[in-house]
Amino acid sequence: MRNRLKVLRAERDWSQTDLGDRVGVSRQAVTAIETGKFDPSLPLALKIARLFGQPVEQIFFLEEGADG
Amino acid sequence: MKSTATTAPKRRSTPILVFGTAWIVLYFGARVLLEKAQFATGVRVGIALAPIPFFAGFLWQVIKGIRSADEFERRVHLEALVVAYPLAMLLLMTLALMQRAVELKFEDWSYAHVWIYLPIFYLGGLALARKRYS
Repeated sequence: MRNRLKVLRAERDWSQTDLGDRVGVSRQAVTAIETGKFDPSLPLALKIARLFGQPVEQIFFLEEGADG
Repeated sequence: MKSTATTAPKRRSTPILVFGTAWIVLYFGARVLLEKAQFATGVRVGIALAPIPFFAGFLWQVIKGIRSADEFERRVHLEALVVAYPLAMLLLMTLALMQRAVELKFEDWSYAHVWIYLPIFYLGGLALARKRYS
């Protein structure tokens, strides 16, 4: 699963720690999510989406060919 | 929806350090006493069991820490366990079979020697999991 977290975070000039603090996870968790190594749970994805004021599917999306 | 994902990580290092330090001091103290001094059997058993409550307390604090961690940290610990548990089974099964094949020396392969592999496997699994997600 890919995401636009890094872009959205950069637009607000937030560090990974800032974002982590806002949604209640560690900086390491934000790093792992941004690099696509760790997929957040649905509650966490929804909380991130709410924080950025966007639908969750505009932040997180499946890679091409990964939807089967 | 109950949110388990957004619990802020809490610092629980102080009780872990207190129990861990007490356990390590008592563990090595008990080893020295049991190896170097002569006591009645009841006293020896008491000395051998003295570190156990502190080790149990240490483990309980670690479990509480993992429970209160965020979902990423819990995943890392789960993956560490996924590495450590099969390795522990592999070691114990190998020793069990080797014990039937040859006489394993008590000085090399007693519980005192084997148990230390279990935390080593866990810490190794933890390092692998952290590397995977870094």
